[in-house]
Amino acid sequence: MCEEGITEGDILIVDRSIEAEHGDLAVCCINGEFTLKRLCLNRGDKIYLMPSNRKFRPIEVTRDDDFMVWGVVIYTIKANRRRRSGTQRW
Amino acid sequence: MVGLIDCDNFFCSCERVFRPDLARTPLVVLSNNDGCVVARSKEVKAMGIPEGLPYYQLKEQYPNSGIVAFSSNYALYGDMSSRIVSILREEAPDVIQYSIDESFLDLTGMDHIDLHKWGEHLCKKILKCTGMPVSLGIAPTNTLAKMASKYAKRYPAYNKCCVIGTEEQREKALRLFPVGDVWGIGRRIRRNLEYIGVNTAYDFAALSKDYVRRKFHVTGERTWKELHGEPCIAIEGLDGVTKKTIVTSRSFPEMIRDLADLRSHIANYAARCAIKLRRQNSVCSIVTAFIQSNHFREDLIQYDNSASHSFLTPTNTTNEIVEMATKILEAIFRKGIYYKRAGIMVSGISSADTVQPDLFEYNPEQSQKYKALSTALDKINGKLGADTVMLGAQQYRDKGEDGKSIKFVNAIRRAMKSPDYSTSIGAFVVG
Repeated sequence: MCEEGITEGDILIVDRSIEAEHGDLAVCCINGEFTLKRLCLNRGDKIYLMPSNRKFRPIEVTRDDDFMVWGVVIYTIKANRRRRSGTQRW
Repeated sequence: MVGLIDCDNFFCSCERVFRPDLARTPLVVLSNNDGCVVARSKEVKAMGIPEGLPYYQLKEQYPNSGIVAFSSNYALYGDMSSRIVSILREEAPDVIQYSIDESFLDLTGMDHIDLHKWGEHLCKKILKCTGMPVSLGIAPTNTLAKMASKYAKRYPAYNKCCVIGTEEQREKALRLFPVGDVWGIGRRIRRNLEYIGVNTAYDFAALSKDYVRRKFHVTGERTWKELHGEPCIAIEGLDGVTKKTIVTSRSFPEMIRDLADLRSHIANYAARCAIKLRRQNSVCSIVTAFIQSNHFREDLIQYDNSASHSFLTPTNTTNEIVEMATKILEAIFRKGIYYKRAGIMVSGISSADTVQPDLFEYNPEQSQKYKALSTALDKINGKLGADTVMLGAQQYRDKGEDGKSIKFVNAIRRAMKSPDYSTSIGAFVVG
């Protein structure tokens, strides 16, 4: 998610009340698991998800997938102080 | 018109909002100390599992059923309930919160709109914004609104909202409704009614008003009137009630023998009662402590006792109530008994604004000190979390897994509690 500017430890503000639009970053539930995905909704009835790596093509959400948009991420609060990991690089 | 919003399988639905993987899994929520089933999902109800079934029996009788059990997560449920009520307040002229999962709506002045469409929209909005499925009943009286909400819940054709608006709808609703399910008609009255051939709400409403008044008194008459579309039952919301007695009591996960342990529990119950008193701006003049042995262990000595103390000057300070509570506990404590339950009750409740200090005993300086201390406690704990600061007497002997003191809210067994998703940053993590 670094391309989205989101790093581990950041806080996301998620709004369930609004309708998701093309290009929104959303908390999605795919087959029972929460995940962050950018939505591609400009292809008619079909829903596509942008992969985290821009090199790859969008993934189509098929009828077999258990998919729902849980909420739209409207703001990211960046954590400036990150919990330091075991290895320190100087 | 009046509306009644009722959440579907409230506790279970709260857990499912943050666990969409369990949307169709049979789910139960357990009571304090993971004792009994207090909430069942639709799938569990369909399995015929009754409410109140002890958890150990559920495990024994349904070992491989795939039922997922959660401990009660009051922080989550309370917060989800507030979110729903705040949406209701945006949409309806007035909202009276009746319980954690039910609210009455005052729909005065809305007679010119399509109430069913409005109701459907409201239920959809709540589902979208909070993830919580709700049912809505709209009718001329509270009793009929309750009835309508049951229809809305049961029959998908209503699309979550049932309106009893016309005389025809009212009559049909009454004819198909078992009299025992009517709000205000309990088991005893239902048996008396069945004895005289009254089985549906319609049959009950068909009785003469005088007969109902004679046999079932004022409360029965009020229900009868409401079924006829005449509003006469006023609702007292959760906020409005000033309690006349306040009790805090719990069963212990493991039985307790030591006075020291019992004392810390009693101190916490007393502190809780003091907080509840201050919250409703009341003082109490009597504090009562009670302790009980384990009634299910017939092999152990049974001992139940209680004692009270009267305050000369009514009070609501934590210091005074905890001090007295621990004193009377020591008076009734008996060695060698395995205690399973204890509690504190405060009564003789009056307004904190009209306290008559006792002529001889009152010490204004000390009273001021205790009041200031209680106010400070409420302020700090309100900001930083319950029991951030507490009396020394409230400290339990046992420490938690992290070596720190256990807090009152965690002094019960809640082995399968879900994270505080909606009230604690860091509890809801997305990859």
